Amino acid sequence: MSDENNHILTVDTIHTYIGQFHILEGISLTVRSNSITVLLGRNGAGKTTTLKSILGLTPPREGKITFNGKEIQGKRAFDIAAMGIGYVPEHRAIFRNLTVAENLRIAERKKGDLERRSEFIFGLFPDLKRLYKLPGNHLSGGQQQMLAVARALVADNVLLLIDEPSEGLAPILIEQMMEAIRELSAATTVLLVEQNFIMASQLGEDYYIIDDGKTVHHGTMDALVEDQELIHQYLGASVRVRGGER
Amino acid sequence: MKLRTFWRENSTVVTFIGLLAILSVLGWIFMGQKPFVRTTLSGLTLAALYFMVAAGLTLVFGLMDVLNFSQGSMFMIGAYAGWQFYTNPTFLFGLAPLILAPIAGLAASQWIHPLVVNWKVPENRQKELQALFIVLALIVGLVAVWGVDFRGLAETAMVATMVAADPLAEATPQEPLGSFWFRPVLLLIAGLLIAVAQARPGDKTKVVYKDMIRNSRILVVVLLVLALGAALIREPGPIAVLQMGGNLRFVLSLIVGILVGGGLGAVIEATLISPLYVRPLYQIIVTMGLAFVIAELIQVLWDPLPYAMSRPPAFAQPGKAENILAWFRGGNTTVDILGVTFPSYRIFIIVLGVLMFVGLAVILRYTRLGMIIRAGVQDREMVEALGINVRRVFTMVFALGTGLAALGGIGAAPFIPVEPIMGDKFLMQGFITVVIGGMGSTTGAAVGALLLGLARAFGDYLALKFSLTPAISEASTVIIMAIVLLARPAGLLGRKE
Repeated sequence: MSDENNHILTVDTIHTYIGQFHILEGISLTVRSNSITVLLGRNGAGKTTTLKSILGLTPPREGKITFNGKEIQGKRAFDIAAMGIGYVPEHRAIFRNLTVAENLRIAERKKGDLERRSEFIFGLFPDLKRLYKLPGNHLSGGQQQMLAVARALVADNVLLLIDEPSEGLAPILIEQMMEAIRELSAATTVLLVEQNFIMASQLGEDYYIIDDGKTVHHGTMDALVEDQELIHQYLGASVRVRGGER
Repeated sequence: MKLRTFWRENSTVVTFIGLLAILSVLGWIFMGQKPFVRTTLSGLTLAALYFMVAAGLTLVFGLMDVLNFSQGSMFMIGAYAGWQFYTNPTFLFGLAPLILAPIAGLAASQWIHPLVVNWKVPENRQKELQALFIVLALIVGLVAVWGVDFRGLAETAMVATMVAADPLAEATPQEPLGSFWFRPVLLLIAGLLIAVAQARPGDKTKVVYKDMIRNSRILVVVLLVLALGAALIREPGPIAVLQMGGNLRFVLSLIVGILVGGGLGAVIEATLISPLYVRPLYQIIVTMGLAFVIAELIQVLWDPLPYAMSRPPAFAQPGKAENILAWFRGGNTTVDILGVTFPSYRIFIIVLGVLMFVGLAVILRYTRLGMIIRAGVQDREMVEALGINVRRVFTMVFALGTGLAALGGIGAAPFIPVEPIMGDKFLMQGFITVVIGGMGSTTGAAVGALLLGLARAFGDYLALKFSLTPAISEASTVIIMAIVLLARPAGLLGRKE
């Protein structure tokens, strides 16, 4: 805890309930500034709920969340987001009945945000420039995912919560998405939920493994890649690790 | 390729327009020009009215999943408010300070919160303390309005309508400001007492955010200024309004309608509906109950009688105008359209309905609020995650919906009877319109309204021609709804999910 100033986000034993169900049973994690931290775990372990709890969409009942030195648990979601957190939800939740331009424009917090950031955004996702005027429902899955990430970049966000960006994407698009996330992480901090272990292991610097609503393991990604046993225990046998590619 | 995407996106609207065109040609041929044009125009008038009620319903349902059963009452309140303001605004001016003052007090709830949160109240006594404050508020409120002659105020316009007396003579049967001032002041105190109860003294679990406190202060100051102004112009106001020209007065009553309806909607959303977003069923019960309360209140004030508001001078000169341009100069009651003599005021209603549709479409298409509404209809959570205060947007949209309904009510007042059952009538048609068009779609509401209005008009025409019971025209709307629902369960332009 000596380098606390370096932590942009600290989650301290939060408990979140959805209806009657106790989903998070004491999640703790810290995210270093300008790093990529990956949340790993099986389906239904509570990864998405962790992101939503940080953002206040499913407010935790107990525990403490510190963002940028301020306690944010119990604040309303739009207040938390406005403090500088961008959110890329799973299933590419772009606004399908809005155009690409409007999907970006709606994320502005100050007038002119989009104009200031457009060069950066189109640098990451050149396709979006071509699609600018099209309605969201005309976009392919990969394009929608890129738009969802781009939308989180319009405002001045210091932390991005990205939920399964590779879900359902073709391999070539996964490459492109990884490249984009690596590039944007130069300027911001990223907390990433990712089932695709290849992508997670290549992008992540730190990792947390969540199981049954608890954080069970954490460390640096380099150490995890070596630890086949841990991977099999918590992430299932289906995960194939190709550590050599790293 | 482009044509194909256009067809895929707009097939319903294009099919609808095509069908209407075919039916029109058939109607023109078989009915003859005059009856056809007359029936169509009547249908369009009805369609405009249905749209005015349905627009708010569909917006509010689409964004917030709230079925507002008091939407018809907002239409009715608009009609009554317009009739009152146009005929004799004494009632509205007399009531304004009495309504604004307690709302100003209520709005102070968040402002008061930091002052009372540290009161040392044992936990088991907190509920009792709140109840005590509410009882106190009721007592103070009762004392405040004790002896106000509400019926007398309400009758001022009634008398003007019934016996066509000079409204100016009826304009000031009010107590002077010297003895009146204590009423709004007491009501303000009553509002403050309820605000204290709402702030839950001693309860540290209630969270109030900084921006809420700031907004609360601004709102209180604005409302206080308005209440003070209302109290001061209570007596000169009605006289000044009555001395205006009739047309100006009518335009003003349209504006008053939007303000009354919108303001009422904002208050209803903030106080009654927003605590119930987690319990959708209760919202239905609350809004339904509200509709009953409003209908009863109106009967207490004006008796269950139908009133006829006189038309503004621009539509009241005897005689027929040869065309729309001639009407513009002459202000005649009727105007010649394609050989049919048609009341000019009904043309105004059609135009008002079209303007409303266009205005709404422009707001939805080109403003930031519209963008947020369209996005929120699809995914509220994501809108919030972008840092947008969705609750505030809800209040604005609800107010927009009720404001439009009230504007429709005022527009309708000069040509349909102003009566306590008009709320129910139009609510029913509004719901059928929205169900046909598809919940959440404004274009759908317009299409549904057109379909219903024309069905009613042509149903009436057929019933008359073949001497059938007029009930078939009423039944036709429900039959159309059934057919549409069988073919397209989500409505013609509903969300496909």
